[in-house]
Amino acid sequence: MSNYFDLPLITINQKLKNKEIKPIDLVNEAFEKIENNMEYNAFITLNKEKAIKKAIELENKEVDNILFGIPIALKDNIITKDLKTTCASKILDDFIPIYDSTVVKKLNKLNAIIIGKTNMDEFAMGSTNETSYYGPVLNAIDKTKVPGGSSGGSAVSVALKMVPISLGSDTGGSIRQPSAFNNVVGLKPTYGRVSRYGLVAFSSSLDQIGPITNSVIDNAILLNAISGIDNKDLTSSETNEDFTSEIGKTISGMKVCIPNFYMSEKVDIEIRNKINKVINFLKLNNVLVDYVDINFIDYAIPLYQIIALAEASSNLARFDGVRFGYKTDKKITNIDDFYKYTRNEGFGDEVKRRIMIGSYVLSGKNVDIYFKKALSIRKKLSDNMYQLFNHYDLIIGPTTTGFPYDLGTNKSSNESFMDDILTIPVNMAGLPAMSLPIGSNKPIGLQIIGNMFDEKTIYKFAAFLESNYKRGE
Amino acid sequence: MAYIPTIGLEVHCELKTKNKAFSNSKNTYGLTANSEANEIDMGYPGALPTLNKEIFDFGIKCAKALNCKINIDGYFDRKNYFYPDNSKNYQITQQDYPIGYDGYIEIEVNQMKKKIYIEEIHLEEDTAKSFHEKGLTLLDFNRSGIPLIEIVSKPNISNEIEAVLYVEKLREILSYSDISDVKIEEGSMRCDVNVSIRKEEYDKLGHKVEIKNVGSINSIKLAILSEIERQSILFDNNELIVEQTRKYDEKANSTILMRTKETKNDYRYFPEPDIPRVHIDDAWINSIQLLVLPDELREKYRSYGINDIGINALISNKELNGFLNETISLGADPIISSNLLTGDILSYLNKTGVSIYNTYINPSILNRLVNKIKNDEISSKMSKVIIQKILETGKDIDVIVKEEGLIKITNKEELNLLINNIINNNSNFINSNLDNKIKLEKYIMGQVMKETNGNADPIISLELIKEVLIK
Repeated sequence: MSNYFDLPLITINQKLKNKEIKPIDLVNEAFEKIENNMEYNAFITLNKEKAIKKAIELENKEVDNILFGIPIALKDNIITKDLKTTCASKILDDFIPIYDSTVVKKLNKLNAIIIGKTNMDEFAMGSTNETSYYGPVLNAIDKTKVPGGSSGGSAVSVALKMVPISLGSDTGGSIRQPSAFNNVVGLKPTYGRVSRYGLVAFSSSLDQIGPITNSVIDNAILLNAISGIDNKDLTSSETNEDFTSEIGKTISGMKVCIPNFYMSEKVDIEIRNKINKVINFLKLNNVLVDYVDINFIDYAIPLYQIIALAEASSNLARFDGVRFGYKTDKKITNIDDFYKYTRNEGFGDEVKRRIMIGSYVLSGKNVDIYFKKALSIRKKLSDNMYQLFNHYDLIIGPTTTGFPYDLGTNKSSNESFMDDILTIPVNMAGLPAMSLPIGSNKPIGLQIIGNMFDEKTIYKFAAFLESNYKRGE
Repeated sequence: MAYIPTIGLEVHCELKTKNKAFSNSKNTYGLTANSEANEIDMGYPGALPTLNKEIFDFGIKCAKALNCKINIDGYFDRKNYFYPDNSKNYQITQQDYPIGYDGYIEIEVNQMKKKIYIEEIHLEEDTAKSFHEKGLTLLDFNRSGIPLIEIVSKPNISNEIEAVLYVEKLREILSYSDISDVKIEEGSMRCDVNVSIRKEEYDKLGHKVEIKNVGSINSIKLAILSEIERQSILFDNNELIVEQTRKYDEKANSTILMRTKETKNDYRYFPEPDIPRVHIDDAWINSIQLLVLPDELREKYRSYGINDIGINALISNKELNGFLNETISLGADPIISSNLLTGDILSYLNKTGVSIYNTYINPSILNRLVNKIKNDEISSKMSKVIIQKILETGKDIDVIVKEEGLIKITNKEELNLLINNIINNNSNFINSNLDNKIKLEKYIMGQVMKETNGNADPIISLELIKEVLIK
């Protein structure tokens, strides 16, 4: 079995250009590894036939870009024309879309090869992958542990090198947390950096598609490919830059800050120790490190529970069995019963719970008591975070408060939200943030948060640590 | 006993934009079902709304036409409710920041002007169209996402007559400003009527009853009357009127209960996160020109001396009105032009059902005809024949005049000869009516016209008849 996915994209690309390998070799490697690791349950749908066909077609074409012929896995909430897209939900178990999402159009144009659709928490609601209708994914480092979520399948498929790169989505930490739990590089781009057209919406003002890879440079390369303004997404922004351009430059003289909240007792001592080691390393490399307080950062969880779930309750209303997807078999005589049975049978418990909470905070006077108040606190929290960038290049801290826990732990819903306590503030403010692996035996992620539309600085900083900081230490 | 009604109207009109509000599908009517519906209109997973800025042009124009203030911040909200024609199970609308607010229009009741105040006007998207057939409900998403403007009046409409005048006036304004087709029968205009009654002028308003989607202007009148009657009977019997939604049944001429307030929808409005704020600056507002509105036209036509019947006929037929203005701009006499248009031409159009722009007549032909009448080259009687022939055959006026022998006889000698012959041939009748000159004048004139096929100049003929009779 070949191991081309151990190599960086630049090297694979060179081999393709030199005709040393063909795209089909890469596709074969992908499916061989997927089939050898079926127990991980990383994929919901494989695109084997079409991927092989495409790889063979590409043999007669010029290798004109770095993603040419590269296998990629997509989280199953990214819409793919003619390829089943389930959001890991029974309600979309047989759903075959009629159009392509903008990111898929971009990838197809570059002749990247879609290998399959990865497993996830149902509708991206969860942080363990256990809410999937298709069962949980296993952690890439320890099969008895959760892989994190909701982009668990995307993180594990890259960690086990079933594919060299994948896309996930991040609403409250869904790229960064599983990346941290599986020792891979995951970035949530700035809100608006990547078009959301064709991403099945969970929370429209928080969702963002982002790359998951084994290296920082590959991550930047994939972001180059998927970012840019899209006239089909009014919240997208123009970006015309090369995210790899600062990679390799020194971080000497940079200024970073750590929110005290990120080093509190809520965070496992082992993780804090590891972060402190990174801090020492940074200081040795002439980086200024300060500790700061961020007002309202401890409100992130309730803000998320109100804003994300309110938006979700509305976004998920379209799953009603009328135009597509699962519909109840029950003999019903009126439309209200049709909705009730279809949605009750089609959605899992966590999704139902979140729709209920979201509907509640928008009902009657609650919209002022909860929702509108949350919007105003969100703005204050965001402003507090933006202000830090007047003094610092980056905000850093751990990605998670703890390590992957045992599958089937059955945390309560509230405990589960607490997993995202360090990642949610970033979504609230729309900032870009990466989880960079800094652990060795046990997976630990360093979260690197940049200013709006300043992913370049994140990549520079992360690439420097990746090559110079010894994770085993 | 009689009670005091309070009436408010919510009117929805489809905007005449090229494209839908939140997708690039075309804004159409009458096409094959679901042929103009994409993943956005169908509410497919992952689809996001775009924004057709044209809807703000229409919204601003409507705000100006209805004397509204304009919100310079364009925001949208989601109105959440489940219904099969509502593709996303939420509707994109404007709840907190309607495009226009605090407006009014003027109606004329018994020669008195009354302002009907407008609470707000807001932009929103239409739903799909449902068809109920053989126990099935079929959905056509061509209509899903077509832009609407909803016009909400304040409850200062006192009776069914004012309500009808208000809706008719709205139709005129929206039609003349090219905002909407306002065709109630095609559904491009829809009316919901709110009715409540109270005992005395100083009483607080009664509970509001909403009558949904009333199907015609006449039905608005009948629905209000029957609802007032229904509520009055309840009041007479000291029964409670519950806030509720009803619909008007035309066959039964009564309203039927749909739902009461207890089961009323909680729409869970919140700001639409997929559409960022649109800033409306002065330059944008100023760039939207208002076309001439009906009331200005009325004043103009009155100043020309056109009578009220003619004015109303012109205003209610927008094409005819445009045609008149084109003809006048060529220099034609307004009164003669208007008389021809609202007379023989309009009755031909009504009979055949064609648009004036699809007939043989055009403003320059009409202008020539009007000039010939004004210069006494042809009589108004001749003009009837000529118009008929133009409309039917498209022949040139001069050709028709020649073919039909329509030359006006103005030669006094010729006419005198004719008059004398008539007197000689009817001496018995004339002699027995010598005491009634007017009767004789009319009689002789009739004979003159009969002999000349109506070609004799009536004014000259009358002069000559009078001269002869004096002798």
